[in-house]
Amino acid sequence: MEQKQKKKDIELEETELPEKKSLDVSNAHSDELVLESDRPFLERFKRGFVNFWRNKSTIDLLKYIGKRLLLMVFTFLVIFLICFVLVRILPDRPDSGMKDPAVFFESMVAQGRYLKIINEDGTADYVKMPILMQLGNFIKNLFSGTDHPFGYSYKIEWLSSPADILGSHLAPTVIMNIYVMLVSVPIGLALGIYMALRKNHWDDHVLNVVIMLVISVPSFVYAFVIQYLFGYVWQVLPPLAASTSDVSVFSPAYLRSIILPIMSMCFGSIAGYARYTRAELTEVLTSDFMLLARTKGLSRAQATVRHAFRNSLVPIFPMMLGELISILSGSLIIEAIFNVNGVGGLYLQSINSLDYDVFQFVSMFYILIGLLGTIVVDISYSIVDPRIRMGGGK
Amino acid sequence: MEKEVMTFNTDSAMDIKAIPSELFHKKKDNENLHDQAFETKPVSYLKGAMMRFAKNKASIIAAIIIALLALYAIIVPLVSPMAHVNSTEYPNGFSDPFFRYALPYNPVNKAMNLGWWDGTDVKTGYNNMDLEILELDDSNYEPLVENIDTVKETVAGRIQTHYKLRVDSYAIGCREINVTKEEYSKLVEYEKEKGIYHTDKGIMKPLRDYTTYLQNYRAELTEKLHEAEDQGITTTSLTETTIGNIIDYMTIYYNQNQRIWYQLGSRESTPYNFSQNSYVIRHDANNKPISIYAMDGDEYVYAQENYGKITVRVDYYDYFTFHNGFEPRYFFGCNSAGQDLFLRLAQGTGFSLLLGIGISLINFIIGLIWGAISGYYGGTADLIMERVTDIISCIPSLIILSICAIQFTGNADLRAAIGSSGIIILSFFVAFVYSGWVGTAGTTRMQFYRFKGQEYVLASRTLGAKDPRLIFRHILPNAAGTLTTSSVLMIPGIIFAESSLSFLGIVNFTTSGLVSVGSLLNEGSAAGLKENPFMLLFPSLVISLLMICFNLFGNGLRDAFNTTLRGSED
Repeated sequence: MEQKQKKKDIELEETELPEKKSLDVSNAHSDELVLESDRPFLERFKRGFVNFWRNKSTIDLLKYIGKRLLLMVFTFLVIFLICFVLVRILPDRPDSGMKDPAVFFESMVAQGRYLKIINEDGTADYVKMPILMQLGNFIKNLFSGTDHPFGYSYKIEWLSSPADILGSHLAPTVIMNIYVMLVSVPIGLALGIYMALRKNHWDDHVLNVVIMLVISVPSFVYAFVIQYLFGYVWQVLPPLAASTSDVSVFSPAYLRSIILPIMSMCFGSIAGYARYTRAELTEVLTSDFMLLARTKGLSRAQATVRHAFRNSLVPIFPMMLGELISILSGSLIIEAIFNVNGVGGLYLQSINSLDYDVFQFVSMFYILIGLLGTIVVDISYSIVDPRIRMGGGK
Repeated sequence: MEKEVMTFNTDSAMDIKAIPSELFHKKKDNENLHDQAFETKPVSYLKGAMMRFAKNKASIIAAIIIALLALYAIIVPLVSPMAHVNSTEYPNGFSDPFFRYALPYNPVNKAMNLGWWDGTDVKTGYNNMDLEILELDDSNYEPLVENIDTVKETVAGRIQTHYKLRVDSYAIGCREINVTKEEYSKLVEYEKEKGIYHTDKGIMKPLRDYTTYLQNYRAELTEKLHEAEDQGITTTSLTETTIGNIIDYMTIYYNQNQRIWYQLGSRESTPYNFSQNSYVIRHDANNKPISIYAMDGDEYVYAQENYGKITVRVDYYDYFTFHNGFEPRYFFGCNSAGQDLFLRLAQGTGFSLLLGIGISLINFIIGLIWGAISGYYGGTADLIMERVTDIISCIPSLIILSICAIQFTGNADLRAAIGSSGIIILSFFVAFVYSGWVGTAGTTRMQFYRFKGQEYVLASRTLGAKDPRLIFRHILPNAAGTLTTSSVLMIPGIIFAESSLSFLGIVNFTTSGLVSVGSLLNEGSAAGLKENPFMLLFPSLVISLLMICFNLFGNGLRDAFNTTLRGSED
């Protein structure tokens, strides 16, 4: 049956694109005779989808994903344990910036983190429990369905749960980073393609130097320059992000106020994409199959777009995915400079105000995002390019 | 194949024919024919790397700039007079709050009259009174450099005049200060020596007697009040209480603005309607301001004894020079405490460089040992060690640093033992060494895997070499290039991380007396980017230069140690 299918493909190929009769070497891993990229998109998608589930390597891939997820859970638990111990041994400061120390102690006792000792004269003393017992109580709370297994915020927002606080700070960060990606990916890729096509010409050299400078200079330096020029000297845009309590995060007014932070984050991002795309594309452009593509009659543009660019996307696409995941963690510095009320700001606030439960929760969130990011990147490699078998044996 | 050889042969035959015949000579019988020794010296690995590095102009320039920055960081704290003033008086470095936010001053720009980087500032929004105050300044230096623009606009039916002025931020005018008797006699001696004692150009200026003037002014206002009462006019802004307020506020105003040596009056917007906080300069019949200098008969009073100290009114710029022995001129300006940014930036650059290099070195050594063991022995040891590094590298150093900073700062014993500067350094070391060596360990491990199976290692092992010898004599030297490069490229990463973390204030430098480029950035952004952009400009420039140069330098090293590039550019 497979033979039949193949034959049909060849016929189809001949009727539709009669000038292409040569063998395709670029798809040397499969024994098909047709360029995958020359098929109509829908058919390609259908075939790809069916093949994907029929394929034995898909099962391998699923197994691999499962293994990685299990490993991730294990790593996360180990890191959580370390962070738990490190954070819980920090000295509590109920005397500084806390609304009501008595309530603090009572809730600590309820969570099994402090021990209440009532003296003979009726006054109560609170003593910190040993870390291991705290850990045991934490696990007990986690599974017994308590309202706040991860503790409370005692300083930033009195007695609200760290998860709620984090949730309320996520929107600005995510919105801002999505804009950054929307701007920087197309520009970065276009710039990289242009540089690869103009390799070793004067404009490529100039752009290379510029990109090297842009990547080396820390992002806060751009942020200062952009904020000073656009925000204060020319006064064309608001120098600080609008407060999220005043305007909705999705409103145009808010977007206008975060144009400057988006600009300062885009510089580095664009430079990174451009450099990476250029490197990948120049390598692909010199491959043998490009020569073949030109030999069989494709124009330079056709060959570049259909063969070179798609192949060069193999390492770039996972990079974009990784960035997409990491948009949740945001940028500490840019958020601090432009006063964006995001996750980075929350993290800094939790450190400065010594709000340990929030600090721990945000830290674990960062770590989880980091772990997830690496896994998604690794897996996407093998989905984008089936030749790469992640986790395969020798 | 055959054909190729043929063509080659004919080509070389033709070449031989092309050699002129006078270059040939007949072989003599006693002449020995043998290969000649190389006249050129063999190029060792390191020498080749040096040669390749020397060809890379960008890297050389980067190395020179790094060296210049390092020299700046070493020399300025050594020669700057501000680094050598009494350290018990200024534990956090020399400062003079009167010169807070003094603008960057470059004597070359001043001499060439370029109008920027010369300690002057152009600002708009000065009104008539501001302009007159600047013009009437009685110190030795003219605060008003240039009147650039005059804007007249009508606001609510009244014509308001605004000026755009260039003002010298160093001409801060006169200040009333208390000095000890010894200091006073020294000052008098100094002035007499210079011949400026009690003259216009002297350091000491006549004291003001605004208390007497304000008493008179109070009487004047009370008279006005009676006058108004006689005419049957009552206004809320002229009563016994408001007169008291006016006098109180004016006392404060005189006290704060010590360059004002003339009579001020409350602004009378409509008749008998006196403002409490807006004043005008009062003029005599000749349209001259009326002085309120303290007089003793016909003589000005220059000094007054006050609780065992002597109060004098001095031209502060000249007094600073007399008191400290150097002029208050700040190349990069001053911070909010009046500290020299040129000196502080040098100290900060030094700290950042030292921290970067020190931590890289430690990471390099730890990573080298760890990676060597893991790579050389392999097997179970490798497996376990790899898992350890996996977990370590998963915890961001940001979190470790935060925890360290909180933990160490809260620990009173530790603070007593190593001081707050020690706490900062310790926090950075723990946070950056904690996971920083993992990268080097990985590289080393790879290099060991690459080289340990090679024949020359096997040969050495066969000859009876022990593990340490194999590791340090045979494998490590081959990996040296890659490892050096990776550790040099680690330095800018650490400098960047340090500066961003101290900029964010996760590590707090304020009370420690330490300075880093990041803490200067923190100070700068606290001082306001809009108001004092120069405070961010210079640290930003230095950190950018450091990052660019270290990256270029590191890339140059990487190319130099990459033997596959040998001869590729010739």
